[in-house]
Amino acid sequence: MTDTQTAPTPAPAPLSLVPAAQARQSAKDFKSDQEVRWCPGCGDYAVLAAVQGFMPTLGLARENIVFVSGIGCSSRFPYYMNTYGMHSIHGRAPAIATGLATSRQDLSVWVVTGDGDALSIGGNHLIHALRRNVNLKILLFNNRIYGLTKGQYSPTSETGKLTKSSPMGSLEAPFNPVSLALGAEASFVARTVDSDRKHLTDVLQQAALHPGTALVEIYQNCNIFNDGAFEVLKDRDQAAEAVIRLEHGQPIRFGTDHHKGVVRDPATGDLHVVEAAGNEDRILTHDAHATHPTTAFALSRLADPDTLHHTPIGVFRSIQRPVYDTQMTHQLDTATQQHGPGDLTTLLTGNDTWTVAG
Amino acid sequence: MAYVIAQPCIDVKDRACIDECPVDCIYEGPRKLYIHPDECVDCGACEPVCPVEAVFYDEDVPAEWSGYRTADAEIFELLGSSGGAAGTGPLETDHPVVAASPAGQLQT
Repeated sequence: MTDTQTAPTPAPAPLSLVPAAQARQSAKDFKSDQEVRWCPGCGDYAVLAAVQGFMPTLGLARENIVFVSGIGCSSRFPYYMNTYGMHSIHGRAPAIATGLATSRQDLSVWVVTGDGDALSIGGNHLIHALRRNVNLKILLFNNRIYGLTKGQYSPTSETGKLTKSSPMGSLEAPFNPVSLALGAEASFVARTVDSDRKHLTDVLQQAALHPGTALVEIYQNCNIFNDGAFEVLKDRDQAAEAVIRLEHGQPIRFGTDHHKGVVRDPATGDLHVVEAAGNEDRILTHDAHATHPTTAFALSRLADPDTLHHTPIGVFRSIQRPVYDTQMTHQLDTATQQHGPGDLTTLLTGNDTWTVAG
Repeated sequence: MAYVIAQPCIDVKDRACIDECPVDCIYEGPRKLYIHPDECVDCGACEPVCPVEAVFYDEDVPAEWSGYRTADAEIFELLGSSGGAAGTGPLETDHPVVAASPAGQLQT
């Protein structure tokens, strides 16, 4: 075994390489001087306010925080954050952020993307960032529609959805972003809702402190082209029966007075919702740190795709595995130790060339 | 900063803004509605739906109603952040500037 194949270097404590802020910060410090231009009532405002309110709790120097976005309504986000940022190429924010995070471990790197940007145009980049476990925090604003282009069906729109581009109903089966991320080997996957500031902030906090790629799906209302898409999860009268709040180490119970619970069918392994009374000993306890993603995946499939009843929110999965940036840095250090620091000019003017025939 | 509700709302309280607000940050006082400045996300959904044009971004409040720039913030100094108007219910008192205001556009 050579040095380059030694056991993975443990990841440094998350954000430990990012310089701390020199002074106490407030949400105002993270607001830029740009006029926010989303449609009045857009869920993006709520997410922006939550992120600006949460950022000071990290205590990081603003000049060491970067928000990278692709294209779409949500991708205007970097303009409004008083940090570094890049409004980049459609779907390519994870690729650009990967380069940044791997070459600059002193940065806290965030990706802001939407369901179209992340899952259609940039689907390839998203899954490979998740697979590599690069130190990125990806906020996926899912409004189940293309908003910026005025209302075509997106990769998360429900089958049969009537839009300008599907006047007889969409023929496509939607992606479930949480299922997709779990299938792509993501080490941290969570879901939250734009208007639930407390929950959103709590999930962001956990994502920020996770070493590796964190994917946070945020259900976000597009009040112009897909209004009320998640209303059942927000309405006070319906939310208790519709939303399952996942908390690590706690029984998966929900509903008024927690009268329902989630159990596993011993024959098939599938998860089911049952009345809690009489089933207390069968109700699953949520384990976000489980090595295998099987139960997290089953939880991600629990929601009724049409009614959104039994939609889990919270952290589905949070496990530790080697972080790409740390390992790459280790490889570079090892190569330097073995072969010296290298000389680019010598390489470019050297004799290690070849001729292409023809 | 945030949006605020000025004098024209007094004794009208149409509540169209409450239906429109995506984060449930508009609270009902005895005579006027109030926007919680810490919970407001500046989305502006309330402003165009107000039938009496009482909602303003705080910097844009007309000079004649300048007292209303801070009234909404002040009424919540005691209440703090409650996490939503629907769960809190109506406020028991109005801000002094509202309470001292003559009767507004009372509905008959």
